[in-house]
Amino acid sequence: MPDAGLTAGDEDEEGETTVIIDMHMHIEEVASLGWKMSADDCIRAMDAAGVDRAAVMTLTDLPGLNPQGLELIADACASHPGRLLGFLRLNPAHLETSKQLLGQAVTELGFAGLKLHPVSTLQHPGGAATIALIRLAGELGVPTLFHCGDEPLSTPLSIAEAAAACPDSTIILGHMGGYFHVDEAIDVAEQHPNLILETSAMPYPDKIRTAVERIGAARVVFGSDGPVSSPSLERQKVVMAGLDEPDTDLVLGGNAAVLLGLS
Amino acid sequence: MIADGLVFLGTSHFGHRLDAATALAGLDAVGSAVAVVAPVHPHRGDLAAANAAVLAAAEQSAGRLVPLCRVDPWEGTDAVAELGRAVRAGARGLFLHPAEEHFRINDSRVRPLLEAAAELAVPVVVAAGYHLLAEPLQLGAAAGWTPDNPFVLTNGGQFNISGLAQFDAELALGHPNVHVHTTGMYREDFLERVVATFGPERLVFATAAPLFTMAYERSRVELAHFSDAERALVLGGNTARIFNLEDHA
Repeated sequence: MPDAGLTAGDEDEEGETTVIIDMHMHIEEVASLGWKMSADDCIRAMDAAGVDRAAVMTLTDLPGLNPQGLELIADACASHPGRLLGFLRLNPAHLETSKQLLGQAVTELGFAGLKLHPVSTLQHPGGAATIALIRLAGELGVPTLFHCGDEPLSTPLSIAEAAAACPDSTIILGHMGGYFHVDEAIDVAEQHPNLILETSAMPYPDKIRTAVERIGAARVVFGSDGPVSSPSLERQKVVMAGLDEPDTDLVLGGNAAVLLGLS
Repeated sequence: MIADGLVFLGTSHFGHRLDAATALAGLDAVGSAVAVVAPVHPHRGDLAAANAAVLAAAEQSAGRLVPLCRVDPWEGTDAVAELGRAVRAGARGLFLHPAEEHFRINDSRVRPLLEAAAELAVPVVVAAGYHLLAEPLQLGAAAGWTPDNPFVLTNGGQFNISGLAQFDAELALGHPNVHVHTTGMYREDFLERVVATFGPERLVFATAAPLFTMAYERSRVELAHFSDAERALVLGGNTARIFNLEDHA
């Protein structure tokens, strides 16, 4: 099989450099799951895939199993300047602590986003605490990346409750609905202009094209869920979607650059 | 030899369709020599007619399409009889879809079918990962009823975008006759761990086209970190062994 033929900083026909940005990678060691994902693992996978920059986040929530989660991500980003951008994964159930940590992370440490995983926090996306945290992220000028799949608390329709309640905050649907909720993710993105679809892990290249056709290329972003999900494979998925070159560039990095304040 | 471990043929009640000519063209496009093919669930659910159509397509494919027989366990002894009839007509295995025929894979009603498949010496392929009906440990329990007959699970034996079902899938792989397809399994480290922990004989390349994309699913295996020998088994050697494809081994 031919490889993707892609390298970091590819030049387009006009000689302009396309920056590839992965909106969804993880760093943490979780002994109970046997999962080990380091910053160096991310960098290796990014290099192999020709990815320039990536948003990185922990696998667990703060406050929680890993009290050093904020420092872990901050150190990783500091060790790889210009390559890694921090997202802080928080549990809205501890609202005041989470708000304090998010403010600190964004204003003092340069974090670029908030990550919420309702399956691990057991917090409904439409709950008051979650809405308060998303609104704070919006006020701080950073997006909120949700785990959005097939499990209760994480489906597109659940997260749409938050989108409706936080119209001034940008919300990214990570995995754009997983295996069985991708069409619903596109549906709710049509209804809520503050929703962005992120392509990681879901297995259908043609659904990326459908999403671009229905909500526009400016609202779809590439992600991998790496490093244990292959950024190389996930990048091929975007290429296989068969978008035209400008739209491909937007999905692979142009949109993320705007969302992450890089352009 | 590249073998696609599962492709669906026919027009499904649930909206997807693939005919034999298009399937063969797809196999050519991605360099797959053969494919194991199963009928879709047709409108009004006439699985006997769907089996006959798949057998006919296989007969005309010069050995490139390896047919499975699909039955509904709710049909009881009629399902067992249909399996026997289809195998005598050329079917090389049994395909079960707990979600589309709506049964629990480890329901005792399913056991006679699995035992009949073992008696006929044909492997069993199961659409895996469906909540309540085909969860990894339910699948493992059913595999244990016929421990000497290959029991092949689609999509890594699971559907879970959090990665949290892979632990039960690995427990299911504790049954030595369980194999898992690569289809749709987004965690590269899971695919690599199956090979490292359970052996390269237990992981089987498949696309489940038209539900998934042939070229993308092939890339999933190409990009995983396997040795050449491991990749050869995953991409075709295991399907050739499981389905006794002497002509293609």
